[in-house]
Amino acid sequence: MDWATASTNLSPRRVWSVRRRLLALLVLPAFVVLLAGTVSDYYTSINPVRDAYDRALADSALAIAGYVRASPGDRLTLVLPEEAIRVLSSDAIDTIYFRVSGPDRALIAGDRDLPIARAAQSNPAFDTVTYRGAPTRIVSYRSVSPAGMVTTTVGETMNKRAVVRRQLLWAVLTADFVQLVAIMALVWVGVSLALRPLIALREQISGRSARELEPLSARTVPAEVRTLVDALNRLFRRIGESSRAQQQFLESATHQLRTPLAGIQAQLELLIAEEGEPAKRDRLGLALSAARRLSHTTQQLLALARSDHAAATYADFRTVDLAAVVEASVADHVSRAVAADVDLGAELQPATVHGIAWLLAEAVNNLVDNAITYTPAGGSITVRCGTNGATVFLEVVDTGVGIPAAERARVTERFYRGHRSQGEGSGLGLAIVADVARLHGAKLSITAGAAERGTCVRLELRRPI
Amino acid sequence: MRVLVVEDDQVVGDAVQRALTLGGYAADHVETAERAKSALHAESFDLAIVDIGLPREDGLQLLRDLRRRGRNLPVLMLTARDGLSDRVNALDLGADDYLTKPFQVAELLARCRALVRRANGVASTEIAFGPLKLDLAHRQVTVRNEPLDVTRREWSVLECLVLNAGRVVSKEKLMSAVAGWHDELTPNAVEVYVSRLRTKLADAAVIRVIRGLGYRLDEPKS
Repeated sequence: MDWATASTNLSPRRVWSVRRRLLALLVLPAFVVLLAGTVSDYYTSINPVRDAYDRALADSALAIAGYVRASPGDRLTLVLPEEAIRVLSSDAIDTIYFRVSGPDRALIAGDRDLPIARAAQSNPAFDTVTYRGAPTRIVSYRSVSPAGMVTTTVGETMNKRAVVRRQLLWAVLTADFVQLVAIMALVWVGVSLALRPLIALREQISGRSARELEPLSARTVPAEVRTLVDALNRLFRRIGESSRAQQQFLESATHQLRTPLAGIQAQLELLIAEEGEPAKRDRLGLALSAARRLSHTTQQLLALARSDHAAATYADFRTVDLAAVVEASVADHVSRAVAADVDLGAELQPATVHGIAWLLAEAVNNLVDNAITYTPAGGSITVRCGTNGATVFLEVVDTGVGIPAAERARVTERFYRGHRSQGEGSGLGLAIVADVARLHGAKLSITAGAAERGTCVRLELRRPI
Repeated sequence: MRVLVVEDDQVVGDAVQRALTLGGYAADHVETAERAKSALHAESFDLAIVDIGLPREDGLQLLRDLRRRGRNLPVLMLTARDGLSDRVNALDLGADDYLTKPFQVAELLARCRALVRRANGVASTEIAFGPLKLDLAHRQVTVRNEPLDVTRREWSVLECLVLNAGRVVSKEKLMSAVAGWHDELTPNAVEVYVSRLRTKLADAAVIRVIRGLGYRLDEPKS
């Protein structure tokens, strides 16, 4: 089982990563706060500007009002000096209008249709109107003359104000955008730094094989995750312990079964040698072959149990000289091959793998054993091993009866016995080979041998780095 | 020839003792390492067959103890455990051979014969192998007491094969057995010597070619 797939299996619902959560939780509120800040900044700075322009406009109104004269007969006139007119029309950006009206809004001077700001609590009174198609700020100053109330209104288009407002808006937005970017960067860096121990832990876990049960290092993990790491380590320890217990049980079971089997077989062999009566000798021979089959099957069942994922742990993996394993296995089978009149040979090239030596030996033994059983007299068996780029291969090729293509997928099942097996064989040999292959992450292929005759069983293992 | 069998299982111990008797040896059977030690102390044996899984003090400890005391009689270890580490351990501790239970009686006897032969080769100057006799001192071979004419190099090959009879001997090992101080040997040369020896030995012994591994000397089929 792979840790990565395990974690996705446990969460069918899509769950946000911690990084995404933190970023969402920090950046969105920060953005909203900054936006509110921008709005408030804008309004707090635009009001004094408007007031200043208003005051200047009011000053103009006051100044113009100062030039209203009451002539004899209480006729009101405006006498504007040239200089004042120049001042009023000197603005390059905005157009300035004025209107001075007497009682009953009778025009004294200026633009007749310029609206007058409604009298408010304050004098001068301000208003914003549309005049001659443009938004215009007006101020009306009411003064009392001997000839009655005089209202002096000055209007000014709002171009200058708009420019200033735009500038202000830009300044505020720019400053706040820079702040937002800075905050996002800080959050990103902070989150990354905070997550670093978690990522290291993830690397530590995903970098190991599922059978590697060494405890995870809890030194560098933050307190929040420590309980998780502790729980994992407890789990690793328990799996390790139960796997060791199972190994020990199987080991002593092997030991306990083999000794009496050895006794029975040896005693039967001796009885056969001593027995003079052929009929009795035949019966003893039957008992002996049954005893041999029993030990063979026992050995295979125990090997099968011990090659199981649950029993074998990563701690048992070592660097193994596969060529030496093959050499020992072939040498052990020479006598059987000679007895069966089969030419057993090897082609060995350097091959080193990472694995469990006795299980690899068990796999080779079963393959050679099968090959001898299913190769008729006069045939040949060749065991090869070597290194081919990143893979280490092991193959046993025979000129025997072969396995029909249709059966090849099934022969690795436990207790499966093909059509070719006649009485002999427990149907466990290739199951053991398949188990050992699985445990070592090796690819197992079963094909026909050379010239479409016999069988070729090939294992491809990863070359250790 | 006297053999001490150290095996705690009654049935196996009895079978081994009977097999040895059948093979022409005088065999004594004890069940613990302590008894084995006192037996070895009191009398002289030519070979010991020791089970690794003995109660209390195990076979490997007994072996270590023997070797520490300078006893160099050949020791064949028996074990019910598989795993190459046991094998390596036993051989490292000075065992001469190793057999896994269950074993075949014929195999056990062949191993015993080989061990005794090799021990004799070291202790005395003559080794016998079936109808073959090798006089190590004079480098002479006889077949059924008839002298066999072999060259110096053929002799070296034959000596190496006889000392390792029943086992696969690699070409490299034979090469180093043949090569003298200033000899350059090719694997082909070894093949030539083996092939000549085969012709000369005829039916006195069988030299098998184990493709890719080497040669194995077996007694002729009787």
